Amino acid sequence: MITYDHVTKIFGEGQDTVTALEDVTFTIEKGEIVIFLGPSGCGKTTTLRLTNRLESITRGTIEVNGKNIMDMDTVQLRRQMGYVIQDIGLFPNKTIADNVAVVPKLLGWPKNKIQDRIDELLTMVRLDPEIYRNRYPAELSGGQQQRVGVARGLAADPEILLMDEPFGAIDPINREEIQDEFLKVQEKLKKTIAFVSHDIHEAIKMGDKIALFENGRLVQYERPEILLTQPKNKYVSDFVGADRALKVLGIIKVGEVFNPEPQNVVQGFEPAQTVLNIMDQKKEKFYVVVDQDKPVGYVTKKMIKYEKGPVSAVAEKFPVHLRKRTPTRDALSYMLMHDFQTLCVVDEKNSFQGTVTYDDIQLKIRESYAGEEDQ
Amino acid sequence: MDTLNFIIKNYTNVLFLTWEHIFMVSISLIIATAIGVPLGIVITKNENLAKKVINGANIIMTVPSIALFGLMMPVLALIGHGLGKVPAIIALILYSQLPIIRNTYVAIKNVSPSMRNAGRGMGMNRWQLLKEVEIPIAIPVIVAGLRTAAVMNIGIAAIAAYVGAGGLGVYIQNGIDRVYPEMILAGALLVSIFAILVDAGMALLERALTPTGILIQKRLSE
Repeated sequence: MITYDHVTKIFGEGQDTVTALEDVTFTIEKGEIVIFLGPSGCGKTTTLRLTNRLESITRGTIEVNGKNIMDMDTVQLRRQMGYVIQDIGLFPNKTIADNVAVVPKLLGWPKNKIQDRIDELLTMVRLDPEIYRNRYPAELSGGQQQRVGVARGLAADPEILLMDEPFGAIDPINREEIQDEFLKVQEKLKKTIAFVSHDIHEAIKMGDKIALFENGRLVQYERPEILLTQPKNKYVSDFVGADRALKVLGIIKVGEVFNPEPQNVVQGFEPAQTVLNIMDQKKEKFYVVVDQDKPVGYVTKKMIKYEKGPVSAVAEKFPVHLRKRTPTRDALSYMLMHDFQTLCVVDEKNSFQGTVTYDDIQLKIRESYAGEEDQ
Repeated sequence: MDTLNFIIKNYTNVLFLTWEHIFMVSISLIIATAIGVPLGIVITKNENLAKKVINGANIIMTVPSIALFGLMMPVLALIGHGLGKVPAIIALILYSQLPIIRNTYVAIKNVSPSMRNAGRGMGMNRWQLLKEVEIPIAIPVIVAGLRTAAVMNIGIAAIAAYVGAGGLGVYIQNGIDRVYPEMILAGALLVSIFAILVDAGMALLERALTPTGILIQKRLSE
């Protein structure tokens, strides 16, 4: 846990002062990723650098697990926090193994423990130790170097990880991948992470919470979906962007919006003509066909008009099935691509769980924005 | 051919003068390194001091060597060393300072801030950062400074014959005085060969001292 209590940072002396951070108060809970977000010069990096005392606090206190960082030895403090930076900062003169081993060596770990740890970490960031252990940073691609940077930050198994735009220098495709991998690792490790970013997409994706800064002040500190749906002021809504409704779609999962008991579902063995009658009665144009509990496809009135057998004979397959954890953004994208208004939700065993419609998604978005005035 | 004959005929003397030359150049280089490299590192922490030190070294460099010997003579005469090897070695140390200090300073300064940031952020102290990161990265440029100094000093040491320091410059000086072309050429030839050999040797040293990772980085970025 990291607690920032009325933290102020002023650079310079006398007449020539710049207030980089003004009266910032918030808490990072144990095991959470908090994104420090904002444009350059907003104070996000300063906040991070105050945390491991690369900068000194002007006023206020920072506590790590209830201990004031000013009462700790600087070098000890830094060694117990992992630190990953934007330009990676791997030492070109050291092998990959030696780069990862920096902090364990500083801490005086025994040699064989360091060796084991290096292999464990490289495997974790998906670099084969046999291949990469003895290579040099220059021989690795940017993305691979950044993985080593992450491994190095985690080397001494610190409870806290400070990350300063760690994936900023990587091309977008590799960035997505490394972000996903990092989230997987974090799921296991549950580190307390302070993560600086200027990218709202990255913040939404990675953050359990987002701390949005403006000119050295903390403007809003919230979970990503709240930041998107209930921006505190114009600065926040501008920063998250006019397309924030679409961004919310990336956070809200299908599981939160789907209909577990849709009315337009029919068993595959039902005769087509019976279904046609029901459709006429209910004025439904689209029916999902399920066999046992597996979705087999869908039928429309046109398709079954002249069919004598069961509906399953004419049902067309869905192009794709959704899972509960699919982001609604992806669901919507499939609907637009394949021109469907309804898609099925299935579980791991491909069993039918319910349906999602375009309206379900729209309704949820409107709910999220309820109470907000039109802009 | 006559020059070669001269060298062969006088080979004991040639060896002696060569040894004197090597002695002057190497002792001055060792002392100059011991002063220049630490000084170059220290001044990276203080911009103002850095400017003064480098300017000072620059001024020394602009003084012609003959003039420098002349200037030192009355001062060193006080301790009875106005002529001979002492003024020569002191002059060589002084001249070496600019390439050594400047290269060290620039090399350490050029270590990317992200390296320093990463090192400090991981809990390295000042000395560990210097030893583990800054010096290994800077070493090729530092050694290049020593190389410049060494080659330059071989030339200047030849002039030191005029203050009675000995060395291969003696042949050039005596040869001119006695209008003895073979002698002049022998001196000039030997000094030149010596300089070329030292330059090559220092190039090898530069390579040997450069960490493998840095060599690979250089090769890949070309």
